[in-house]
Parts: sequence; C-alpha cells; structure tokens
Amino acid sequence: MAASGVAAPTRAEVLQLYRSLLRVARQFCDYNVREYTKRRTIDAFRDKKNLTDPSQLFAAFSDGKAQLEVAKRQAIVYSLYAPKVKSIMDIKPS
Amino acid sequence: MASKLLRQTLTKTKPTNVIRRFSTAAAIASPSEYEDPTGITMKGVKIAGRPLYLDMQATSPVDPRVLDSMLPYYLSRYGNPHSRTHLYGWESETAVETARAQVATLIGASPKEIIFTSGATESNNISIKGVMHFYKDKKRHVITTQTEHKCVLDSCRHLQQEGFEVTYLPVGSDGLIDLDRLRKEIRPDTGLVSVMTVNNEIGVVQPIEEIGKICKEFNVPFHTDAAQALAKIKIDVDKWNVSLMSLSGHKIYGPKGVGALYMRRRPRIRVEPQMNGGGQERGIRSGTVPTPLVVGMGAACELALKEMEYDEKRIKRLQERLLNGIREKIDGVVVNGSMDRRYVGNLNLSFAYVEGESLLMGLKEVAVSSGSACTSASLEPSYVLRALGVDEDMAHTSIRFGIGRFTTEEEIDRAVELTVKQVEKLREMSPLYEMVKEGIDIKQIHWAQH
Repeated sequence: MAASGVAAPTRAEVLQLYRSLLRVARQFCDYNVREYTKRRTIDAFRDKKNLTDPSQLFAAFSDGKAQLEVAKRQAIVYSLYAPKVKSIMDIKPS
Repeated sequence: MASKLLRQTLTKTKPTNVIRRFSTAAAIASPSEYEDPTGITMKGVKIAGRPLYLDMQATSPVDPRVLDSMLPYYLSRYGNPHSRTHLYGWESETAVETARAQVATLIGASPKEIIFTSGATESNNISIKGVMHFYKDKKRHVITTQTEHKCVLDSCRHLQQEGFEVTYLPVGSDGLIDLDRLRKEIRPDTGLVSVMTVNNEIGVVQPIEEIGKICKEFNVPFHTDAAQALAKIKIDVDKWNVSLMSLSGHKIYGPKGVGALYMRRRPRIRVEPQMNGGGQERGIRSGTVPTPLVVGMGAACELALKEMEYDEKRIKRLQERLLNGIREKIDGVVVNGSMDRRYVGNLNLSFAYVEGESLLMGLKEVAVSSGSACTSASLEPSYVLRALGVDEDMAHTSIRFGIGRFTTEEEIDRAVELTVKQVEKLREMSPLYEMVKEGIDIKQIHWAQH
C-alpha cells in the first residue's frame, strides 16, 4: 500500500500512476501540451523501466506523483481559458 | 468541494452556477472579435484554426509546470520581496532567492552573480553601456560582430555617438567570426568584446570558448548574449571565461518580461547602473523584483536542467525530418549559416526563385518568420543575412523555422507539406524558374530596356 520510509512502489501503483498521467494528458484542450504530456510520460516511464535501486524507484515515483498533481491543476486552468477556435492540428480536414 | 469543482469543470455536464460563473470570467478574458466557430479572420486572412507554431526563436509557449509555479505568487503570496517586516515580504524574498539559485545552477555560476532584469535587451544595455561608461577614462574601444541582436548594435551606436570607437567584426558565409581577425582588432584600450552565443536568425553557435581564451589572454572583459543559448546548449561561465552574460526568460518556456544578467565576481567586473533607485539587485538594477516572473524563470531553468538532453535529441530528429522532407520534394533549398556549428532548433532556409512575401502569405497556417521578429516590420532584407553574404533575392526568400519542446512530428510533416505546396505553386507561376529549367543562366542575361 502506501510507501512509508524509502519503500519502492509496487507494480500496480506504477501502472496506476502511468494510466492517470495519460488520462490527465487527454484532458488538456491545448494540442501541443496534450501531445507533450502524453509523449513525455511514455518516454519517462520507458527510460526508468529498468531501475532496481529502491530509493531511486521511490524518488522517481514521488516525482511522477508530484507531476501528476501539477498536470491535474493545469488541465483545469487551460480549460478555463481555452480559446474558442482550436489548433489547426486538432481540426479534421473536411 | 474541490473535487466536485474538478469533476464539473472537467466533464462539463450541465451548466451549473459554478460553470456559469467560470465561463463568464473566461468570456471577459478572451477577445472574440476575430474568433468565430468557423475559424479566425484577421488582417483579411481566414484560417480554420490556430496556426501551428514554428517560431520558437521569437518566443516560446509557457510550460504548464512553469505556470503552476508562478500562480501562487499572483493569488495569495503577492508580497514585495523587499518588504522586510512581514510574512508576505519574507516568503516573496525566499522565492526570489530560490529562483536566483536555480538560474545560477544552469549556467555554472554562484547565485550572488545573478541580477534579475526585465529581459535580455535590458541586460545587454547594462552590459555594454554600463561597462563602457564605468571604464570610460581608460577604455574607449568596443568589439562586436555584424550579426548581433539589434539591442547590442543600437547600444554600440549610442556609444559611438558619445565618442567611443566600435569595431564590427565581419562573419564568414557560415556565420562564424574569424578568431585571428578578433585577435588583431584587440587594442590596449579595448574595454569589451561582445559576441552572441547562438544567433537568433540563423542559429549558428559561435566559438565562445576560443573567444573567451583570447579575451583572457588580453585581459579584456567578455560579454555574450546567451538569450537563445540558455537551456539549449550547455553553458559553463568558468569554462567560457565570460564576464557578463545576458539571459532571457521567454525563450526557455518561461514568462515574458523577465531576464537576468550574470556578472562575474572573480575577477570583479563593474558597471554603471542604467536604472537608478532604491539600490535593489546589488545597486545594479533598482526597482521591485517581479516575484512571479522571477519564480517562473527559475522554474524554467530548473526544468531545462532536467529536460535539456531529452529535448535536444528530439529536436535534432525533428530538424532532420523537416530538412529532409523539404529537400526530397523540392530543389534549390539553401540552409543559411553553418550546418555543423548550429543549434538544432533553428533552421533558416532560402528557396531559390521564390518571392519571400508571397511565400509567407501562403503559409498562413504555419507560424514562421522571415528575418527576425524585430526586423520583420521593415522591407529591407535582414542585416544578418546580408552580413553572411547571401544574395539579395535569396535573402528575401528566407524563412526561419523554430522547433521546440512542444513541437510534434505531425506538425513538422504538415509544415513540410504546406511549404512544399506553396513553393511549387509559386515556382510554377515564375517565368524566371521556367528559364532556369530550360538551362538559361539567369545571371548572364542582359536585360534590354524597351
């Protein structure tokens, strides 16, 4: 369950963090930020796939959780000020 | 309560009081004179959506993580960092000092050597005019290059009017200065050498380390404008032997209106302040330090430290994709500036037999620039390209593509497609191109008058 001290996160927790980050990425109304969040999450998790040291794992996991909080807040802020017209990349060619 | 707000704003089910209150605020915030559901009409041009942004050298979007760090200082922690008597001032000051340390770490300096200013232009002004005015009795000569930013050239011109002498070093066709020429131009009364690290128009990286060695040899202060270089290439002020460095916030995914000046303490460089007042920022730059902006710049620098490697690899791939994509479909594409000593996110291309203004007018769905943002108002071709020795007609057709952290592969592909389409369309209409295809050498034509 919740890590106390320097205990490494479980596989389930890591997967849940990954899915939450991707879910929050989809909620951004800005094309560039959305794509960046998605891409950066995938690349960051792939990069750290082979970490074994528990303290490193814990640091990476907490960092990921902090980034998730930032992303959740910013998804709301961006949606409050969303421009009426979307980016041209989001508009399907008719 | 907070989670209910979150759920409502994110899912937008039925308009409740909460949503209506937020949406009214949003309507006041965004102008709608030119936006309507079918697209945007501005300056007589109609496009279906917001253009894709490929102008990172002009400015960059604020990273959401940077915005997140700035907002508390606009909402509840709004104190003046120079107020010594209450919590608001203390927390604001702590934030400013943290940001100062973040900026210093990125360039390998100590926090005591960082002064916050309103931008790289102000930092350049302080460096050039401030240094020369301070040492005006002994030093009367400044060396700079022909491809510097307008603020540096204008400050030098101002010094010339005051009676100083300025040498403008020429650049080769690859955009780099000649180090032997620099060595020859240094005189006993040279007070400053100013060379920008990464050029904003063509993206070439000058040999700063070598220039630093030469300046150390002759004991001349060395100033570099690193506004385009910060967070893009590795900066080490000790290795480069730089005495002054100008930094900008809005080129590194931070807010506009903030910058910094690095001033070496060992050996100490002195400047005459350009902004007089209450002695803030070590007396160099008086005025209230804008806490939210400074916090944003600090956060952007810290992010850059983590993301620089990842960003650079990605942007290099995107640059190759862009260049190869365009070169595959059309010929007569020239890259302005050296290809090896270049920052990967800046690609300045000239298209032969195409007129620049019409090319830009056809590329309304891509936000690019020709020349730099400062000079695009005038009709003459960019002075940087002229200094490179580029022909007038090629200089007029130059486009600068700026790739950044948020650029996607699809945007690059779309930009390639739109550019190629527009260039082919213009070349089809061009009689000059027809003649070239038939094998006639344009430069040999003798244009007879009627």
